[in-house]
Amino acid sequence: MAIEPLTPEQVVKKTVKSDEPTKPTPEPTLSAKRLIGLALLLALMTWAYRAAQVEPQLLWENRDKAVPIITDLLTPSLLTRGEETQQVVVRVEAPCETSTGPVVEAGSGAQITLSSNCLNPGDSLTVSGSGLRPDTGGRLYWQHPNAQGRLRDERFRTDANGNFTVDTDIPQLLEDLGGGETELQTILSWESGRLRASDALTETFHAIIETIFLALMATTLGSLIAIPISFLAARNIMPRTPLGNAVYGLTRTALNITRSVEPLILATIFAIWVSFGPFAGVLALSVSTIANIGKLFSEAAESIDDGPLEAIRSTGGNELEVVWFGVVPQIIPPYLSFMIYYWDINVRMSTIIGFVGGGGIGLALSHWINQTQWNNAATAVWAIVIVVFAMDYISAIVRERLI
Amino acid sequence: MLEVINVSKVYDDGTRALNNVSFTVEDGEFLVLIGLSGSGKSTMLRCINRLIDPTEGRILYNGQDITNADPRELRQIRRQIGMVFQHFNLVKRSSVLRNVLSGRLGYTNTLSSVLGLWSAEDKQKAMENLRLVGIENKANNRADELSGGQQQRVGIARAMMQEPTLMLADEPVASLDPALADSVMRYFEKLNQERGTSVICSLHVLGLARRYATRIIALKAGEVVYNGDPDLIDDVRFREIYGDEAVEHSLR
Repeated sequence: MAIEPLTPEQVVKKTVKSDEPTKPTPEPTLSAKRLIGLALLLALMTWAYRAAQVEPQLLWENRDKAVPIITDLLTPSLLTRGEETQQVVVRVEAPCETSTGPVVEAGSGAQITLSSNCLNPGDSLTVSGSGLRPDTGGRLYWQHPNAQGRLRDERFRTDANGNFTVDTDIPQLLEDLGGGETELQTILSWESGRLRASDALTETFHAIIETIFLALMATTLGSLIAIPISFLAARNIMPRTPLGNAVYGLTRTALNITRSVEPLILATIFAIWVSFGPFAGVLALSVSTIANIGKLFSEAAESIDDGPLEAIRSTGGNELEVVWFGVVPQIIPPYLSFMIYYWDINVRMSTIIGFVGGGGIGLALSHWINQTQWNNAATAVWAIVIVVFAMDYISAIVRERLI
Repeated sequence: MLEVINVSKVYDDGTRALNNVSFTVEDGEFLVLIGLSGSGKSTMLRCINRLIDPTEGRILYNGQDITNADPRELRQIRRQIGMVFQHFNLVKRSSVLRNVLSGRLGYTNTLSSVLGLWSAEDKQKAMENLRLVGIENKANNRADELSGGQQQRVGIARAMMQEPTLMLADEPVASLDPALADSVMRYFEKLNQERGTSVICSLHVLGLARRYATRIIALKAGEVVYNGDPDLIDDVRFREIYGDEAVEHSLR
């Protein structure tokens, strides 16, 4: 977009509408500057829009994809009953040459009939059953010997007499896998027994506890190391000698550089170094805690009141006594407050670094997401939400009391 | 007891806070420093116990050169000189008792004081001094729970723990409600009259200075412009010290 420089007079002409000629004119030069600024801002935003490949229409067009995920996320796996199944397996050739009629297979007190014994991908097939458990949901699965998993097919539900009929198509995938004898599994499943925590809930519980303690460990370790470092990075504590200035400058620079390395990258490195697991997460978060809290600590140390230090010095106290009686009581509350704040932050961070091998709830969550087990992922997501919310709330209350 | 000889102080930024100041203080005097803000009163007081190092000149305390004292000697001298500050300089989050006890730091062993092992004698003395300033019932309160006047009394009790022979007070009533000024000044008067402690106190209200001082030294732009009897400061002298536009408010 070309920007033509406007003289103050032109700007006035453009801004004053002809139907309101008496309107007070704004400060002319200021308007010109504003117009140019606005144009530049607009150009920048256009560029950003393109660079980010913003395509809002996708949100609506692909809404079908979002619905199941969101539905699952809203219904986390929490409680479960024991599951019982009834299963009948029919072996069929696919692809095959010519059909010789229907196939009947009996098992576990039931009978399954396929409309044809010869299946080619794309053919339609009617599966019917009888003698099954009445009023029960079931599903068809294809199990090919060359495939690791099984292919999910139609869902169905038996009637009051234990019969069902379902139409389906032979999946193209069977041919792609190289043909041969394929199992068509008819599986009914239903809940029975007492309610208990689902496996996902149990695993989430253990993982979130691991996360909280991982974050506590990292915060403690990081803070302990950050305390002496923060003194080196505090202007009022470091003596104004060439050595003091050099140590101050180097510590500040080192903290700034470390702070710009994302914990995610640190976690990747430590996951390779000490292998996957919570310890890698502890190390990554400790390093990032040192860098971040070290700066906060040093600023807290810089903002202490010099008055008490002067008073202790005037009584004849030595430098150690000045630090112990003057500095320490002033920095304990802000230091503790920052530590609690960082515990909270580290719980949040550890959910993310779990994705790259840092252990804790993030590891469980990434596992479930990769397996598209959204109900289970939802359990982890909700656990994170609850814990983060609680920690945020508690840390706010505790910090308020400290200050 | 105290001789200030040709003391000058130039700060790093080039400000000349004191210019060739000389005066002496006799035992038992109640000396008040007056002058406008920035006239050098605070710097002068801090040069005496070397919270600030003078650039030139010497200060003798009972004949001992403070300006050249090594750290050990300096601590010995400092513990004989109590100091009370405008902003009280208490450790706000520590208890009143701990603040008062910190006045003994010049006498105690570092390790035992850091571990909080105060002698029974020191604790008793702290309670006694708190009783003297009328706040013994606040001993276990946090210092910042007290009112300004009470905090300054804690500051006085802390300085009294040193059993000082000289008490420095830097604008001790300037951040207090004017109505409380007298109640705090009276403790210095009592200390001066009953224990014979010499007092050097900076004030900016001339009325208070006239009431408590046995002698007044006025500073203007780092120089001594008056040194003498409080009653001899008339309107002319007053204008010399505070400038032509100043008017003395009657606080008497």
